[in-house]
Amino acid sequence: MLDTTIGAGSAQGATQLGWTGVVRFLHFTPRAFLPMRAAEAIALVAGRGIEGDRYMIGNEEGFYSHKPEEGRQVTLFELETLVALKRDAGIELGPEEHRRNVTVEGVPLNHLVGRRFWLGETLLEATRLSVPCRHIEEITGKAIFDPLINRSGLNCRILQGGIVRVGDTVRNAA
Amino acid sequence: MTARPITTVKTIVTGIEEAGAGTKLFTLADPDQWELPPFKPGAHIDLHLPNGLVRTYSLCNEPADNARYVIAVKREAEGRGGSRALHDDVRVGEVIGVSLPRGGLEAGADIARCVFVAGGIGVTPFLSMALHLARTKQADFKLHLIVREEVPLAAQLGPLIKEGRVVVHRTSRTGRPDLAALVGEGGSATMVACCGPEGMIDDFERVTAAWPAANVHIERFIAAAPVLDPDAQPFTLSLSRTGTEIQVRAGQTMLAALQEGGIDIATSCCGGICGACKVGWLEGKPVHRDRILSPYERERYLMACVAGSDADRLVLDL
Repeated sequence: MLDTTIGAGSAQGATQLGWTGVVRFLHFTPRAFLPMRAAEAIALVAGRGIEGDRYMIGNEEGFYSHKPEEGRQVTLFELETLVALKRDAGIELGPEEHRRNVTVEGVPLNHLVGRRFWLGETLLEATRLSVPCRHIEEITGKAIFDPLINRSGLNCRILQGGIVRVGDTVRNAA
Repeated sequence: MTARPITTVKTIVTGIEEAGAGTKLFTLADPDQWELPPFKPGAHIDLHLPNGLVRTYSLCNEPADNARYVIAVKREAEGRGGSRALHDDVRVGEVIGVSLPRGGLEAGADIARCVFVAGGIGVTPFLSMALHLARTKQADFKLHLIVREEVPLAAQLGPLIKEGRVVVHRTSRTGRPDLAALVGEGGSATMVACCGPEGMIDDFERVTAAWPAANVHIERFIAAAPVLDPDAQPFTLSLSRTGTEIQVRAGQTMLAALQEGGIDIATSCCGGICGACKVGWLEGKPVHRDRILSPYERERYLMACVAGSDADRLVLDL
């Protein structure tokens, strides 16, 4: 699926701000350990999280809920990392397996910490980089901890909520 | 902060049915019927029972049936208490935490024929495998079920018995069958597996001793002892601020031992890079396995998720 998705046209329209990306996959799950379910659209609620997701504030049932963090209302992951994982480490990881909510293409996630950007009609603030964790290795049974160091996604706070759809544009708000 | 990480899959008991031979089938599902973590045919899960016991059972539904876990439990009056608790105390609607599924059988692409030998309730993992193979037609298979008289899970096995895929051997009528005759000739395209009482498994091991090891699988009722690093040593953690002493078992992480001892330690990556579980140490000889602390920092701190000890006692600044 990745091979047909990557390069289907998104990051071509670089703006004067340096990048424009696109939403490729959306996923959520209501509780820790359960498989992530793909969606064509998800609802982001400002200051709280994704409707139905395990880390929606006030309804947290995720693996890390014992340390609530309002900067983790929605998480993003680079499609390019999945491609690199297959190419460099021979590990095929599906977009539902990294357990972040939004898989984007053409977005330099590691450079966005502390910045604001538009995800479709929603406005996000990047709070910190995600770190790989043994928990995901346990769930997937794949040795992805080391290959994901420094490219494990981005945690964000939702400043302006709304609906995010597959195919939406991601762009800098600076 | 007293909250703990969620370490089990939350399920509720959605069905309990009699399945013959003192056996009950328990169906576990997500409270909202969400799909459950995937599993291989005949994988195991640990049930964290309401009375605190943790017991391991084979899944007997097939992996494509991904919204439920079905286990078959025979009540063992003289057992260690898990089956009694399930039979006597657990009701529909009860919340039970389960581990992620592990293990299970998977016939590789080169396997054309599978022969399963089960003793009594040992049929459970093979029911899952049989249902999987019957649906996918991945390989031809035959399941030999050896019972004294009554067939457990008769309703579930019925269609497969009619098709001749499951052959029931009743020892009360015909005596014990010759296992060598049941498994037949070995070969790289044949996989054999056995689950049942220890005596049966010992015999099975003997008759398959010359088979390629990768083609022979054995499932025991009692889980095998975990494989430990032969160099791993137990040690004692001494917490300087409270005087508490905590034992770290061989092969156990320091973090797990601290959490088991009721010490609240933040965690995140559990792989020695995020620093969430960084704690100070005062005496001893830590073995640092993290990837972020500088040599200077290692003189004062360690990462509890990956660090070990090269001495019997390690004093932490906790």
